[in-house]
Amino acid sequence: MSEALAMSPTRSLGQRLSGNYTLTFGLVLGALILVSGFVAPFIYPVDPFTIHPAHALEAPSAAFPFGTDELGRDALALLLSGGYATLVVALPAAVLAFVIGIAYGFISGLGPAWLDKLLMRLLDVFLALPSLIVLLFFAALVPQSNINLILLLGLISWPSLARLVRNEVLAQRGRDFMLAAQQSGASRAYLARVHLIRVIAPILVVNGTFMIGDSILTVSALSFLGLGVQPPQESWGSLLESALDIAALDPWWLILPPGLLVFGSLLAASLTGQGLLRLWGNGR
Amino acid sequence: MSAVLEIKDVSVTLKRGGKSVTILDQFNLSIAPGEMMGLVGESGSGKTIAALAIMRLLPPGAQIQGQILLNGEDLAKADEARMRAVRGKGVGMVFQNPLAALNPSRTVAAQIGEAWRVHQGGGKAQARAKALELLGEVGIPNPDTRLDDYPHQFSGGMRQRVMIAMALACSPKLLIADEPTTGLDPLIARQIMELIARLRRERDMAVLFVTHDLSVVQEHAESIHVLYAGRSVEWGGANAFFAHPRHPYSEALLGSVARLGQARLQNIPGNLPEPESRPAGCRFAPRCAYAQEACSSAYPPAHGHGGTQAACLYPLPLSGKLVYAEPLAPKPTRRFLPLLDVQNLTVRYPGAGGWFGGATKLPPSLNDITLTLGRGECLGVVGESGSGKSTFGRAVLQMIGYEGHVLLDGQDFHATAGQAKRDLRRKIQVVFQDPRESMNPRMTIGEVIAEPIRLKGRVSGAYVRARVQELLGQVGLNPEMAARYPGGVSGGQAQRIAIARALAAEPELIVLDEPTSALDVSTQAMLLNLLKDLAFRNAFSYILISHDFAVVSYMADRIAVLNAGRIVELNETAALISSPQHAYTAALIAAAPQLQPHLGQTQSA
Repeated sequence: MSEALAMSPTRSLGQRLSGNYTLTFGLVLGALILVSGFVAPFIYPVDPFTIHPAHALEAPSAAFPFGTDELGRDALALLLSGGYATLVVALPAAVLAFVIGIAYGFISGLGPAWLDKLLMRLLDVFLALPSLIVLLFFAALVPQSNINLILLLGLISWPSLARLVRNEVLAQRGRDFMLAAQQSGASRAYLARVHLIRVIAPILVVNGTFMIGDSILTVSALSFLGLGVQPPQESWGSLLESALDIAALDPWWLILPPGLLVFGSLLAASLTGQGLLRLWGNGR
Repeated sequence: MSAVLEIKDVSVTLKRGGKSVTILDQFNLSIAPGEMMGLVGESGSGKTIAALAIMRLLPPGAQIQGQILLNGEDLAKADEARMRAVRGKGVGMVFQNPLAALNPSRTVAAQIGEAWRVHQGGGKAQARAKALELLGEVGIPNPDTRLDDYPHQFSGGMRQRVMIAMALACSPKLLIADEPTTGLDPLIARQIMELIARLRRERDMAVLFVTHDLSVVQEHAESIHVLYAGRSVEWGGANAFFAHPRHPYSEALLGSVARLGQARLQNIPGNLPEPESRPAGCRFAPRCAYAQEACSSAYPPAHGHGGTQAACLYPLPLSGKLVYAEPLAPKPTRRFLPLLDVQNLTVRYPGAGGWFGGATKLPPSLNDITLTLGRGECLGVVGESGSGKSTFGRAVLQMIGYEGHVLLDGQDFHATAGQAKRDLRRKIQVVFQDPRESMNPRMTIGEVIAEPIRLKGRVSGAYVRARVQELLGQVGLNPEMAARYPGGVSGGQAQRIAIARALAAEPELIVLDEPTSALDVSTQAMLLNLLKDLAFRNAFSYILISHDFAVVSYMADRIAVLNAGRIVELNETAALISSPQHAYTAALIAAAPQLQPHLGQTQSA
């Protein structure tokens, strides 16, 4: 019976995390990045847009911990506000894509065969288009605003999740416990709400974390190309881009931090996802 | 007499959740050249671990103590390089699932040839010739045309023959077969057993046969070794064992094996103890009908008065009456009011087909089935895999589309729709083969059982809880189990929960689709008795689908024999068994593994 206890889901968070270094490290890193974006501007209340012409392009010092850029702006303040600008677009976009992907996958997997075929062929079309290029096309077309950016990103990043969810639903819906529920009069909506969500939840959470990482990368890439977060607001991508413009001057204090933060976000999302996978076995 | 294999005081410990757990304790065994020994036990007895220990194929972290002497060489101390030489050459092994043990991407000739070349060297042409010879020897028809086929192109039985050919490639002196016929149809299983028996005689090869099936041991083995909870309880000559089992566990085990036309199966009370919580002294004592105080002080020494050794302080007398020799009582014929009416039921599965062009035509899985089922009656449906017996169950359950009509209480499913159809359908419930698959692993047991009650209509939470407790009690489980998850219970308990869930819907008919074939014999006996008692109390009907003739005959009032989608015979159980009218029925009955109550009639054929 001790085996049963060990498998019961009532163990504390600490017990679950112990030994799972992947998950612990991913969660800590993710929390640090979230704090840097949303809380740090209050802890380091320096206006990122104040120009200090006398101190342009200075290496880190006591007055400017992360140095200054070519206009003499505080690099740390820029980085923190850039983080906020990136996350405030990337997180809602990931959530939007997540919701669309799940809904599409469930409808396709549980619906009649003809609808499934139709939705899957439609999905193939979506997947066949190179998403970054489509994104660039529309980003150049619509007026620049955070809302538009969130909608664009969210409407473009769901197909792979939708396919995953649909395949998982198809795999699960023939299982004996689903048939037994139907025998007792369960409707499709009931099956989705009560049974499928529970068995697919680990896969959803894991892929959700991956999607957050992807979303941060895409926002950064768009901003790097000048189509993302718009001036005067800076983001990790735009900071990296303007630093690389003056790469000849070797401003390592401007290039490294935004690059590392994008990298760190991806790492945090990926480690958290992998750690959760290990926590839940193979996801079932 | 020099033994091929001699195991002395072997103990195996595994790491489980950071702790060392002793799975197998002070295990002793000796097999002479050419001997066939059955190593018998229920799941959790340690029999598979014993077989894996000989091959040193234990999971990482496992520790072996004691000696495993193969022709005098201690394998427990051999290094990995030496073991690679031993595996295949010294000892051949056949596993339960040949599809998992064969490489799907290589031809059988390549795989058999490889098994030979690794140990003997030799060229590719020689290896191919050897593979051809072996395939012929294990009885694959036209072996020369099948050399370049892949494992998936063989049927289950033929695949197992390929596995055996591979194991024999280097002429080992010992073959370990771990449940080689489990999962095969009875007719095929019988052929595989006969093949192993023949090869053993022709090659004078010792066979250690790991199984849970006592009737197979009785038919083929010379000696037997019974494990319970990691310890040997009885071992010695098979004839002596089946004539006079000395250990109470052996007696109980023999009594719980279903036989054709038996009156009542024996229950072993309680559950197999977990390896972590095995009792001191005799491990069977808490469940033993003859246990006395002394039994729980120390593990009893072996007594060897009859033909077997039994580790018991109070072994059964040699004069005892055989528990499984009770006379077969023919069931009284009962009359039933009609409940289910099946008319011209035909099921066709669509073949592969694309967007354009017609789907390929397949023969119907179920062809024109007409029968009626009475209220309180149990109808057994037997047949091999592919006979359509599961399809029949699913059609009655309305899980698949069908032609023809199914009427419950005079109401045609095809004539109802919507809520009325759902309500009618709820009156037919199902119990599946794999109890774990039939429960959502992320729901508590209470939620699982409560589901049909909640789906039936609005009820208060207190009512649902009370009903769940009541149902758990009805199937013989502790009501406190409701808060636990299905992952933490045994297979037998899980199947009881599935039965409780079926009862929760207040059905009139329960379709039992191979309800006990994933369970141990003693668990199977308990479940079959439970199902019998429930039907008696609640007067509902069963459709019992099984490949096991003995199980069906124990439960059923009438039996329908299905072959290739058609009913070839349908008759009262006693009449069907005593005088089968159809040749196929007779073949199925002959292939059903049977414990023979009469000593002396058993030969190692």
